[in-house]
Amino acid sequence: MPDDAAARLYQAFVSQDPAGAIGIIERSKRAGVAQAQLFDQVFAPALSLLGGAWASGAIDEYTFTQAAVIAEQITSFVIPPAASGDTGITVLLGTMHHDHHTIEKDITAAALKEAGHRAIDLGADVRPTEFLERVEETGARIVIVYAQLTGAAHSVSRVREMFSAGGRDDIVILVAGGPFVADRLLARAVGANGVVRGAESALRLVAKAAARAEARHS
Amino acid sequence: MSGRSQTALLAEGLARQGHVAPAVDACYQALRNDDADPLVHTLLAELFLSGGFHDEVIAAATRAIELDANCAPAYLALGLAYDRRGGMWDQSILVWHELAEVVPDLVIAHVQLGEAFAAAAFDAEAIEAWRTALELDPADARAMYNLAVAALKREGMATALPGFRKAGELDPSQDDFFFSLAGVHDNGKPTPDPSTVAPDRDSRLAAAFALAFEEDFFSAAGLIRLILDEDAGDAEALALAGYLYLKQESANEAMSVALRSLAVSTRTPTAVYVLGAAFAKRPGLNRNSARVFGALAKAVPDHPMPHVLLAESLLSLQRFGQAKEAYLRAVALDPACVRARFGLAAVLLTEGEYARAHWEIRRAAYYDTRRQGLFWRLYDTYAEGRA
Repeated sequence: MPDDAAARLYQAFVSQDPAGAIGIIERSKRAGVAQAQLFDQVFAPALSLLGGAWASGAIDEYTFTQAAVIAEQITSFVIPPAASGDTGITVLLGTMHHDHHTIEKDITAAALKEAGHRAIDLGADVRPTEFLERVEETGARIVIVYAQLTGAAHSVSRVREMFSAGGRDDIVILVAGGPFVADRLLARAVGANGVVRGAESALRLVAKAAARAEARHS
Repeated sequence: MSGRSQTALLAEGLARQGHVAPAVDACYQALRNDDADPLVHTLLAELFLSGGFHDEVIAAATRAIELDANCAPAYLALGLAYDRRGGMWDQSILVWHELAEVVPDLVIAHVQLGEAFAAAAFDAEAIEAWRTALELDPADARAMYNLAVAALKREGMATALPGFRKAGELDPSQDDFFFSLAGVHDNGKPTPDPSTVAPDRDSRLAAAFALAFEEDFFSAAGLIRLILDEDAGDAEALALAGYLYLKQESANEAMSVALRSLAVSTRTPTAVYVLGAAFAKRPGLNRNSARVFGALAKAVPDHPMPHVLLAESLLSLQRFGQAKEAYLRAVALDPACVRARFGLAAVLLTEGEYARAHWEIRRAAYYDTRRQGLFWRLYDTYAEGRA
């Protein structure tokens, strides 16, 4: 089926028939080719046929270019979306009160969003009460608190206290920043559930925390 | 130049040949004869810089500037010394600012000024400086890399990555890599005349590569057509055709002929490169480009560029740890690879390693100024002006 579809897609390109090309893609999907496989199984072989036809002189330069334009018009149907779909996981991020370091937080927030999470960035100099308020408001169950200053890192304990006082012991607090990397015991001392060491680590820990929360609720 | 002592000229000659220790001796001897020659102090600063003696660089370059406030090469040595020594951002900003005033059209002064601002956390001023650099030279890759890093800090990797790739395209090393895969190097011979190329496949292909190397894409395409008219399954000719389409931003055409080339022969590294580069132009095809560049990195493990290209694809997949490993391999293969240094800096920023990231950017700056031969350009211009 994909071989046949590739040949027909090639014909649609050369005939400058975008509607026909889309129809072939749709039929391939209905025949069981997964969206993620459309490019490799149908589109790329059709392009290879196009390259072969141009090389052999079966089509001229003008037809080749026009066919490439038709291919361009249907790429959005065959190329997987760059950003991941919504995971439904809400994560709050903020830099602790009296601390204004934001670079690591901003990069991580962008990475979480790209991975499909609902990352809500509270900014810098965030008071413990604000973390609780925004948890209530958004329904987030995971909070990442950033602190690059030692004093600010120690005061993350106030965020945990605030959650406990508000009856939200279920909230997962992840901490990030130099003091937590330097002192492995500090995270536990302030009541955190884990230490984030960069954007990739945040992606891993958030996925883990979300899976645990899911298991608890099911 | 006629007023300069023989010893000073000897020091200069030795320094140009890379004989550091004898050049330093000759400089001191020249200074014993005439302590007021800013060129000798500047030369001494450059020699100390190559050895990493930053305090000595600062002393010698400062003395040269005291003797003549327009001594541009001394500002360059002084600025690089401040940057490499670290922790002296205020002085560094002043020096690069001065150099930009002394030589206003010197692009690199604005790039360095931006990097000094960024290291001191003056991000808006840094971006302004890099934009000025790009106004002076829209093809300055380092200014573009820096803007990509600035975008990373504020908006994350997805926003920054197109900037890294754009900078990579401005950086001639990627094209050099393609030609090195084909065994084509700048041999100093004149560009072939397409009308006099012998009518056989090998001569035509060699001439087509040489013409493409000189960016005469139209003539190169004409020769490729002649080859394909005789053998439509010539994998190497198809790969070069793909490269030419890639250079014209025609990604689908490039993909078509690269795929055809690989259908004929999977052992065509130039076609693998073209396919990977065409995939990398489409954000949704990051997995494909990572797969292709991964294969290329295995096939050509001793060249830094496939590792850099692989790393950039991995960045787009948020596989930062693996990207870091690929960048580290590239830097180990070529410590002067500016693109790998900036990429590594980006990964380190994602890990919260701010200081190490800036160290990589400073190393990139050092190698980039070396690569451009900037010191000697400024030195010669300054010496001519004094003659």
